[in-house]
Amino acid sequence: MRIAAATILALLLGGSAAAGTFSTPPSTTNNDDSCDISLEPAATLLLPYFEVDFNASRAAAVQTIFTVQNVSAYPQIANVTLWTDWGFPAYNFSIFLTGYDVQPVNLYDVFATGALPVTSSSTTVPLNPTPGSQPQGNAANPNFLPGAAAACAGTPFALSPPLLQDLRLLFTTGTSSGVCSQAVGGTHANAIGYATIDVVATCAAKNPSSSDYVSGILLFDNTLTGDYQLIVPRDAKSYAQGGTLVPIRAIPEGGAAGAIAPTNLPYTFYDRYTRALPARTADRRQPLPSAFVPRYIESGANGFNTSLKIWRETTNAGACSGADAAALSKSMMVAESVRFDEHENAAVLTNTLGIVPVPPAPATAATAIVPSTSFLFPPNIFRDAGGWLYLNLNNGGSSNYSTSRPGFARPSSLVRASQSWAIVSFFAEPTYAVELPAIALGNGCSPARPFSSEPGGNIGPAPNTTP
Amino acid sequence: MKRSIAALALLVAAAAMAGTTNNDDSCDIAWQPAATLLLPYFQVDFNSPPQSASQTLFTIQNVSALPQIARVTLWTDWAFPAYSFPVFLTGYDVQPYNLYDLFANGTVVGTSADTPVPENPTFGSQPVSNSANPNFLPDVQSGCLNVPAALPPAFIDELRRIFTVGTMSAGCRVGGTHTDAIGYITIDLVATCAPKNATSPDYFSILLYDNVLTGDYEQLAHAGANHYAQGSPLVHIRAIPEGGPAGAVAATSLPYTFYDRFTAGQPSRTIDRRQPLPSVFAPRWIAGGTNSLNTTLKIWREGVTSATAVCSDYQRNGDLQTREAVRFDEHENATLTSGCNILCGPPPGSPATAAVPATFAVFLPAFSSSGDAGGWLYLNLDNGGSASYSARPGYTPSRPSQAWVITSMFAQPTYAIETTAIALGNGCTPRAPLSGEPKAQIGPAPNPTP
Repeated sequence: MRIAAATILALLLGGSAAAGTFSTPPSTTNNDDSCDISLEPAATLLLPYFEVDFNASRAAAVQTIFTVQNVSAYPQIANVTLWTDWGFPAYNFSIFLTGYDVQPVNLYDVFATGALPVTSSSTTVPLNPTPGSQPQGNAANPNFLPGAAAACAGTPFALSPPLLQDLRLLFTTGTSSGVCSQAVGGTHANAIGYATIDVVATCAAKNPSSSDYVSGILLFDNTLTGDYQLIVPRDAKSYAQGGTLVPIRAIPEGGAAGAIAPTNLPYTFYDRYTRALPARTADRRQPLPSAFVPRYIESGANGFNTSLKIWRETTNAGACSGADAAALSKSMMVAESVRFDEHENAAVLTNTLGIVPVPPAPATAATAIVPSTSFLFPPNIFRDAGGWLYLNLNNGGSSNYSTSRPGFARPSSLVRASQSWAIVSFFAEPTYAVELPAIALGNGCSPARPFSSEPGGNIGPAPNTTP
Repeated sequence: MKRSIAALALLVAAAAMAGTTNNDDSCDIAWQPAATLLLPYFQVDFNSPPQSASQTLFTIQNVSALPQIARVTLWTDWAFPAYSFPVFLTGYDVQPYNLYDLFANGTVVGTSADTPVPENPTFGSQPVSNSANPNFLPDVQSGCLNVPAALPPAFIDELRRIFTVGTMSAGCRVGGTHTDAIGYITIDLVATCAPKNATSPDYFSILLYDNVLTGDYEQLAHAGANHYAQGSPLVHIRAIPEGGPAGAVAATSLPYTFYDRFTAGQPSRTIDRRQPLPSVFAPRWIAGGTNSLNTTLKIWREGVTSATAVCSDYQRNGDLQTREAVRFDEHENATLTSGCNILCGPPPGSPATAAVPATFAVFLPAFSSSGDAGGWLYLNLDNGGSASYSARPGYTPSRPSQAWVITSMFAQPTYAIETTAIALGNGCTPRAPLSGEPKAQIGPAPNPTP
């Protein structure tokens, strides 16, 4: 019920003006025609968090597996980019998908042995029983660049030892033997980061930070789906968690690489990489929301407890150094978090007003796993074992973000809300593990939210941008 | 890539620009607050002690400052509404339920309109009073005190029988036969705690339209001595457009709605304004044998009976036809249960909710000869329609039926994962043709108004 605070006050005073009012009819019933992140095929998939213990044996290692699925009859090329937890695009590889193909990737193979998925544009296409289930030939995608067949015939299937060593260093210490002169990721025993998977027009050693990525090879067909699993072997107490890769659609879809199409999206998923392009929305990818309401349980040793996997848009392009240095995104502020317990008592932690000034100020890198008991969130003052969190993960913006459009900025903000994603992981001993995406309050086109202490800052579903 | 083979020449044409950037303004099912939540499948072993019983838990969360009332309805696997109860949620409330408590002990957590509202530190985190919702009907403050009432033992016995052997005390059959209690649940935002469900003639006079509810579920299960859990968000079905008092008829572009089959005789066939669900899904499958992951699909399907159904009608919801299923292996080889379109009959039916192993080569296609242990399924779960469904231009010969699919993967000893299957299109997408029909091509759905 989208009633602003002032309206609520009026209602409390006995008014009922809001009763009987409702919004206009929906603008669209189309597929691929809104800003909502929906479980439908997409042009980009996001794995918000991965973790790999490449030093352990395969049977004992924490490892992340993801799968990419092409639900169209046409061949597609998926470009997988592995990013450090500070948002540095460390490595990319291509997956050639024949029509209706499905390709699993175990990141343990990548980090432990340097093995990449083996795919090729020369893969045999089967003959299927009905026309509608028949994959097209591997050269049938009209949006492939002319050299795609050759470029994808022999994609790398193994990392060289020096490159593998650099990757391990980048994802565990943030440093490398020569890739960057300063740290581009955090320090942790396991390789931690996130992955993006884009539909592209050729197999090339490029990633979204490449100057000719969006304008040269990125495609716009919503044909990919995928899921992920995090495996945690503990002998008889082993468990797994998993979910759907975040499907980010191209709106509108279709067209050749580099095609500029008008879109109503106010900004896009790859916004910070479109600064030099003819259109800031050239990638046409839906933006992600900024506010979430994950549930938490903190039952102690004998019940469920909660961790949140949080992905956040960085403030820059994730370069080695300079104004775009990934290091500048290692600790991005969290605008506000509020803990509601099961009796609706609220504790508030905000970065601006300091209502509950608990140092250090809440901040995270581009991806992190955080227990619900973390300092990032308000303390559980009343000791209820459960409740929910309101997370406004806006990082405050960046000059690298496109200029806010009318209606998409708070009066005090220069730019739009930053994008984010949150996953809720519940675990109880010995082996109860559940993982689910957090519900977002609004979509990626929703304006930045005010603080809960500000006028109009009522926590609740986002208003429509054009109600 | 939404092209027919004949349209290959359209190499560079991009579709029209986005129709909307609004929240709550499309037919897409998203993980955003909603007016109806669907738990597509539950399973409770109420005969075992709690530490070893399969059981389903779910939680309802009110993310608005205003109080809300949620109407929880338990449906059998033949889509018979067997029991419903109200949940009074104060502003920002969260309420967990364990269905084991209901079926094993006959208890349901009580809620009440006189629950104290706390004083919170900021204006924007403050729940408003329990009478502040302007859409509540006048009887709420008295009718929502300490709900639901205690359940008499005879009623618990009746519920257990309905959800396991499918029979009512009157002898009528309304569900399938299984050891555990199996069914599905809907959770609707309503204006009163009055005992009604979606088949009640006046239900749409108490249904509300504010997208303020969220929720999730967990299935606790056991494989021998091993324990594991699976879970996901509940299906979030938004009211489009949202807002307004109970019974308000608002214009909507939705061609039909989630509760369509119950709206005959109402002032508008879209009076519930709930987004419809899709009918075509593309879940992944793994059949790795005893030492690897194996897949079960939890499939919810729209029934065919109307609000005026009598007891004997519900068996029709126990054998819903499936339009087509195609199994792709990891080498893209396809096997079908239909699609030949001329001499072959459709695949066998399934009930309104069921857990189906991916190896079940009766409802699902057989494996290819490749020996692949994985791939994905194309499931066109359209049941062929019903006289209880509304007719709309552009949806010929009738609209597709609604469905939802959850992919559950499990490997010994305790690796368990559950994900929502990807839909090929949204609930406003016209019926998908059979893959054997001219110009048909399995893939993402085209836009109805491209």
